[in-house]
Amino acid sequence: MGRFIVRRFLWTLLVLLVLSLITFALTRAVPGGPFDREKKLPEEIIRNLEAKYHLDEPYWKQYLRYLNDVFIPIIAKGEPKSLLEESLIDIKLWDDYHLRWINLGPSYSSRSRTVNDIIREQLPVSTQLGVVALTIALLIGVPMGIIAGLKQNTIWDYLGMSIAIFGVSVPVIAMGPILVWVFGVMLRWLPPTGWGAQPPYILFFIPRDLSWNFWRYVLMPAFALGLGQSAIIARLTRASLLQVIREDYIRTARAKGLPERLVVLRHALRNSLIPVVTVLGPMFAAIVTGTFVTEQIFGVPGLGKYFVTSVTNRDYPVIMGTILLYAIFLVMANLVVDITYAWLDPRIRYE
Amino acid sequence: MYTKKWSLVAVVAVLAMLVVTSCKPAVQTVVVTVPGEAREIVVTATPPKPTRPNILRVNLGPGDVPTLDPALATDTSSIQIIDEITVGLTRLDEVTLELKPGMAERWEASEDGLTYTFYLRQGIPWVRWNGQAVEQVLDEEGNVRYVTAHDFEYGIKRTCNPDTASDYAYVLAFAVKGCNELLNAEGWAEKTEEEKQALIDGVAAKALDDYTLQVTFTTPAVYNLNIIGMWVAHAMPKWVIEERGDRWTEPGFNQSYGPFTLKEWVHDSYLTIVKNPFWPGFENIPQPAIDEIKFTMLDASAAFAEYEAGNLEVAGVPLADMDRVKADPVLSKELVIGTMACTYYYGFNTSKPPMDNVHLRRALSLAIDRQGLVDNVLKGGQQPAQWFCRPGMAACPTPEKYPDLGVKYDPEKAKAELKAFMDEMGYTDVSQIPEIILMFNTAEGHKRIAEAISQMWKEVLGIQVTVTNQEWKVYLKTIQQDSPHVWRLGWCMDYPDANNWTREVFAIGGHEENATQWRNEEFTKLLEEAALEKDPAKRQDMYAQAEQILVWEDAAIAPIYWYTRVTCTKPYVNRTFSQHGYEAFEKWSLQP
Repeated sequence: MGRFIVRRFLWTLLVLLVLSLITFALTRAVPGGPFDREKKLPEEIIRNLEAKYHLDEPYWKQYLRYLNDVFIPIIAKGEPKSLLEESLIDIKLWDDYHLRWINLGPSYSSRSRTVNDIIREQLPVSTQLGVVALTIALLIGVPMGIIAGLKQNTIWDYLGMSIAIFGVSVPVIAMGPILVWVFGVMLRWLPPTGWGAQPPYILFFIPRDLSWNFWRYVLMPAFALGLGQSAIIARLTRASLLQVIREDYIRTARAKGLPERLVVLRHALRNSLIPVVTVLGPMFAAIVTGTFVTEQIFGVPGLGKYFVTSVTNRDYPVIMGTILLYAIFLVMANLVVDITYAWLDPRIRYE
Repeated sequence: MYTKKWSLVAVVAVLAMLVVTSCKPAVQTVVVTVPGEAREIVVTATPPKPTRPNILRVNLGPGDVPTLDPALATDTSSIQIIDEITVGLTRLDEVTLELKPGMAERWEASEDGLTYTFYLRQGIPWVRWNGQAVEQVLDEEGNVRYVTAHDFEYGIKRTCNPDTASDYAYVLAFAVKGCNELLNAEGWAEKTEEEKQALIDGVAAKALDDYTLQVTFTTPAVYNLNIIGMWVAHAMPKWVIEERGDRWTEPGFNQSYGPFTLKEWVHDSYLTIVKNPFWPGFENIPQPAIDEIKFTMLDASAAFAEYEAGNLEVAGVPLADMDRVKADPVLSKELVIGTMACTYYYGFNTSKPPMDNVHLRRALSLAIDRQGLVDNVLKGGQQPAQWFCRPGMAACPTPEKYPDLGVKYDPEKAKAELKAFMDEMGYTDVSQIPEIILMFNTAEGHKRIAEAISQMWKEVLGIQVTVTNQEWKVYLKTIQQDSPHVWRLGWCMDYPDANNWTREVFAIGGHEENATQWRNEEFTKLLEEAALEKDPAKRQDMYAQAEQILVWEDAAIAPIYWYTRVTCTKPYVNRTFSQHGYEAFEKWSLQP
């Protein structure tokens, strides 16, 4: 297992390297630059700006500079002289010496902020929303799928699957404003927009204050986001359970005289969760790094917006930063999924 | 009987819920007529104590405020905040657009009109939010730091410095002597410290003493006083900028001196400014009556939901809600359509056949039913534009004074111009006209306008244009490098003078020279002279002449509409309505 993880980790590095190269090439290949504005900037101003951000250098040099800033840790003396030298990880070693690692660069559109700041401040918010949304999705989706699967072709099955179809078909963009209107404007039970948690967080994302002031902001967006996902989970759980329940080892378990409850819980359910866990990996990575539409509708200050606006603004470092971050989450989530397989199904082993 | 009873219970329950949950303190007596029953129920709620905090909540629009650094600000959100926490040498009256004293109490000009001496107001301290209250900033010796002429000199020179890489430095570069030489310095990076310092010293902004600033301009233009009041020329705190670098604008570090000061800035979420008690207050920039302003950063629909929930005092109305708001008895009273200093226009590539023929360009411009577009597509009460420069700006022609200037919807005239074009080219049928491409940047609003206008062209002239779109940045590159036959753009004010419009955009060397491919010597010369003309009436006439060349004689563009701002304001807010888009919140107040 240890060797497996190490090997996967090395693969991850390679993936990130290739991905960064492709992203870099794409951003530079797309027409239009970060300093093209509706009010055209004079040549000399663009020259000054490009010099400031090293965009006047040849592409290969820009790329190597980026790789160096992101991947190579440095030991430096004193505080960073400018925003451009700040890093995501800054550990004080001794005296005035610091270990700095991962400098994702400045943001061209928010001139007093860096990509590090954006990730530090906006990612935890998206993660909080994502984790709650995914929990809601699992709490609704898995039981609904199990009931529908066990009671196939009964009223429960039809009811559950109708709700699932509804969840898949009604997107957040329709569901969100309705929730805001009903609970935020008409009934005024919940605030229509905003966020209740503020840094510092425990373990990078858990708010210190988990009182109603946090939940009242998170409930609506998490529900809107989670409902669609719960529908996917429910349908998958049902389909997979229906298949597993016909397997030979279930018949064996029943033949041993095990009570039906144990047959379902210990044998059928565990195995039927494998496809569910498979989709949970990418789903987790996508949700906790931010969702554009949900965050927009509910005014959540998360990271989702930056995946979109960075591209329209040609904000190169933000594009690179968000994409690399998403890739890391995706690879890590899939690693956890692979490890979970082995635990769920004794036939799978990584040696 | 049962149903009646139940409906009664339901109505009372809903009502009670509304009373309990509603934040409106005004609810006292509510009269409800129960359907099917011949009596009225009177529900009386005890009036809650008026405990409204003296805090104004306003939406700035989606996305984080990009910066609070006056030298770097380019967008409306940043400039709005900067204008409230700092004040320029001169300051515009936001309602009349008159130039009023700002930090300079008075000024005098030299004989040649090039050099101005500004006399600053004394005793206005730099302040900061210390976590609990607004405090005066002290220098190393423990004395209060007052805003001096040196701070303004530093600010102007910092904006002109290539190391700052300021987007808006070009405005100072053409106005202030020596700024262009610094901003444009060849091989700046390789220069020695002495050479750099010599160029910085060359910028003609000098503090003669603590409260006297002398600025020399490149030309004796009438708009110089406007430009020197712009955010890029505000006083900046050298000691903070040198200590904190790019982070100096963050709360805690940020220092300012205007009627408000920065309190909190939760990026991507909200920003609050508080009343600066050390701002003495002047006739045109009073001490604020409001203690604190919270700016949210919400999408238009989300903000309007917050407004309706009673959590915002001011919010823009999304286009989708426009008809509902106009029909709503409460909201329609809170709705105000104000002006906004922007123009929406279609440009022509005057070198690309068939657009190189002026008659065709005129025909297309005449065939646009601007009022119809406003009524049926835009719905925000926009003003049909007859020319480019937004009326209200100094020296811009106004429709009252020049009712027949420029271009208006006139299908008969349009057909006559089309005929003139076809005769000249020897065409007998409109189908012989080569393909015309109308391009816009991908956005729902632009698409609807383009579709409506191409339909008008088809109906009036019989010309079928090809409508196409590109993503924003790609589009910007396209219109600069090889602009299509017809393209769209907008222009918004930097300073309220016709020079910022007609000349800066369309004269030779202007912003859109590449896109229009139009270079008119007479037009440019007229505008150069107009910049120096002292007599306001004569000056306005000159811009009227220039506009006539731009939109009619040469018809290089088709102006479409002048922007409006559609906002709802709660009835308990006493406010002014800015003509240029930036509000002076120090003049607002909240009823208790």
